[in-house]
Amino acid sequence: MDEKMYAYKCTVCGELHHPKHCVCKKCGSRTFEQVLLEGEVTLLTYTKVYNLPEGYMKPYLYFGIVKFENGLTVSGQLEVKNPTIGMKLISKVGIIKEGTNSDHYGFIFEEMK
Amino acid sequence: MREVGIVGVGHTKFGKMSGGTFTDMICMAATEALDDAGVKTLSGQHGIDQVFVATMGAGILNKQSGIASALVDTLNLRPAMAETIENGPASGASAIKLGYMAIASGICDAVLVVGGEMMRVVSGWEGTDFVATMLHPEAEYDYGITLPTLAGMFTRLCMEKYGITEKDLAIVSVKNHENALHNPVAHLNTVPDLYSITEDEDAGIINPYVASPLRLYSVCPVSDGAAAVLLCAMDKAEKFAKRPVKIAGIGQATDTHAVAEREVPTDLLAVRLAAQKAYEMAGLKPEDMDVAELHDAFQILEIVESEEVGFFKRGEGHIAARNGDTKIGGKIPINTSGGLKAKGHPLGATGVSQVVEIVRQLRGEAAGRQVEGAKAGLAVNFGGFGNNVVATILTKEEE
Amino acid sequence: MIIDKMEQSLRPVETPMVTYPAKSITMANGQKLVIRQIRRDEVPHILEAVKPLMTVEKDFYDIVASRIYSELLGYYRYRVKDEYCLIGTIDGVIVGIVNGRLVDDKVGMSYHTMTLRQGLRIGAQLFAAKMEYHLDILKQEEVWIVAESPNGFKRWMIEYELESRPEIWHELGGVPTYVLTKALWEKHKGEKLAGRRPVNEILLKTAENPILPETYAQIPGYKRCAK
Repeated sequence: MDEKMYAYKCTVCGELHHPKHCVCKKCGSRTFEQVLLEGEVTLLTYTKVYNLPEGYMKPYLYFGIVKFENGLTVSGQLEVKNPTIGMKLISKVGIIKEGTNSDHYGFIFEEMK
Repeated sequence: MREVGIVGVGHTKFGKMSGGTFTDMICMAATEALDDAGVKTLSGQHGIDQVFVATMGAGILNKQSGIASALVDTLNLRPAMAETIENGPASGASAIKLGYMAIASGICDAVLVVGGEMMRVVSGWEGTDFVATMLHPEAEYDYGITLPTLAGMFTRLCMEKYGITEKDLAIVSVKNHENALHNPVAHLNTVPDLYSITEDEDAGIINPYVASPLRLYSVCPVSDGAAAVLLCAMDKAEKFAKRPVKIAGIGQATDTHAVAEREVPTDLLAVRLAAQKAYEMAGLKPEDMDVAELHDAFQILEIVESEEVGFFKRGEGHIAARNGDTKIGGKIPINTSGGLKAKGHPLGATGVSQVVEIVRQLRGEAAGRQVEGAKAGLAVNFGGFGNNVVATILTKEEE
Repeated sequence: MIIDKMEQSLRPVETPMVTYPAKSITMANGQKLVIRQIRRDEVPHILEAVKPLMTVEKDFYDIVASRIYSELLGYYRYRVKDEYCLIGTIDGVIVGIVNGRLVDDKVGMSYHTMTLRQGLRIGAQLFAAKMEYHLDILKQEEVWIVAESPNGFKRWMIEYELESRPEIWHELGGVPTYVLTKALWEKHKGEKLAGRRPVNEILLKTAENPILPETYAQIPGYKRCAK
């Protein structure tokens, strides 16, 4: 799979953002460059959700918020058997929602091999 | 700035509307408020300058846009000004805020605010999906993340940091259900048994996880319903039937859209800032409050909000709940109406419903759940997952 | 009725079936739900609980109640092979009904699940009890299931991860069949199956003569007339 996820780096002060912002949170400027966002993360919190929205034909899904080494905190789906706060995971990009015309790609965090 | 008060309240029974349109539903609450205030719904005689309708879904779920304009006509309040106000689950309190501003500015003398939601006409799936549209589109919604997902993750963090237990959430839930038994407009009128939903051998199956560690009995139901208040300038209040309850303070604050970007993940910063602004405007402090309606869509929120609004220190809200401090008769009764948990949560109506309960408490009209001698009350209406919060303080004026 | 040769030939041969052992579950409000199997001779009484819902369109009650009515009648009049019916009672009042039958010793055919008292997730408990009967008590290998309502689909097809088997035709017709296999049951029953056995004598006695509900939340204004 060639899909990638990106952080948005302010071209003036270098502050990283994810998701995209219109205005830099640190210096207020408006131009950003895309920077690959991937790698090892720490799991900050998670939940096992049983009542999923329409289109998710599974009995449950794990979701979590993780912290990348660059400090960015991000939400995503988890493919983890027994999540615990503080565990190290690795990011991958996968289909997070099946669409009618096109699928949505996003972060799926999984256990390090 | 002119002072503003509330002279009329109305409230439908929350739950499942059996028949009728969205307009029919909000009319019921609106006419009750107008009658309560002694307003004549006749052209040239009603004295209403502005109508605000608070709703998140009328246009989407019930296919009724421009609902405020429709209401003005059907209530015979033409040519009053009219707008629909949307701020997710905080639409109600936002509409009251705007009504306040309209009168305080001098532009209006009397403003009718009606909040309503009719969500049970669609399936549970569609309802959940619709509510999730207020989440961040790429960072949350596209992942299948819903409000319960965010609440589950928040709950786990708070449990980890402060030692809150699942049983604490159940204690709050049972309290709210008990309060609702005395509220004729509440959606739910059964009380869960604490032991049965926490310690019984089958508790895990009877009270299953919705989004761990949140269980079924810590999450509010999906409800239809409407509530209304009539605001007026305090200096023009004598022409209405009842003495006004004063809106003494209003505060509002926003926070990051994506929950993952919050600075302190266990804080509800917007709640804290909104409450602080409201206290400041009212010239009051947390200890001056006699009663509060705190937005408890998930029972964890009542606990954390009770801390962020200054009733208890951070990390001690659940201990106060365990000790009964938030029950009627306790130090600071919270959610005497039954809260969103047992009274119900029609999104657009909730903010107005909370204020109606505070008005009833301050007027001494809350039979069966009355807080004796209540003189000041706080309502906190939580929009999104805490990225837009409105706090309202009401006070009873001296005779 | 006279059971002559003609009547005998119209009755299916019955497979001996172990009776479902009654159990009780503590509901969220502290009340006890008793689930037990009914005897054939109890059917006419149970039908009276089903009847009022046969014309309630909302939430598919009309189709579910009407079909249960005919299925139970089929059981009562000895025209359906190896059918059973379980009821749930709280304080002696019937609050839910489930039924099904055995296709053979390995395969069960789930018929219906109907909740009379809403708000306590009684349907979920009765459905799980039904699956327990087929797979744990009667020791079958799989149960064939279809859903008639979105709620049913969500609760069973998604929550139990039922296997889709469109090539099998379910007796109720309609959408393709889904199957609860023993493996899926073992995977999910920990989170789905509740109940304590044996039921204490006094509690069991309350379920002996099931009381017909006086009112139904699904039918505003309805009140049962005393006969």
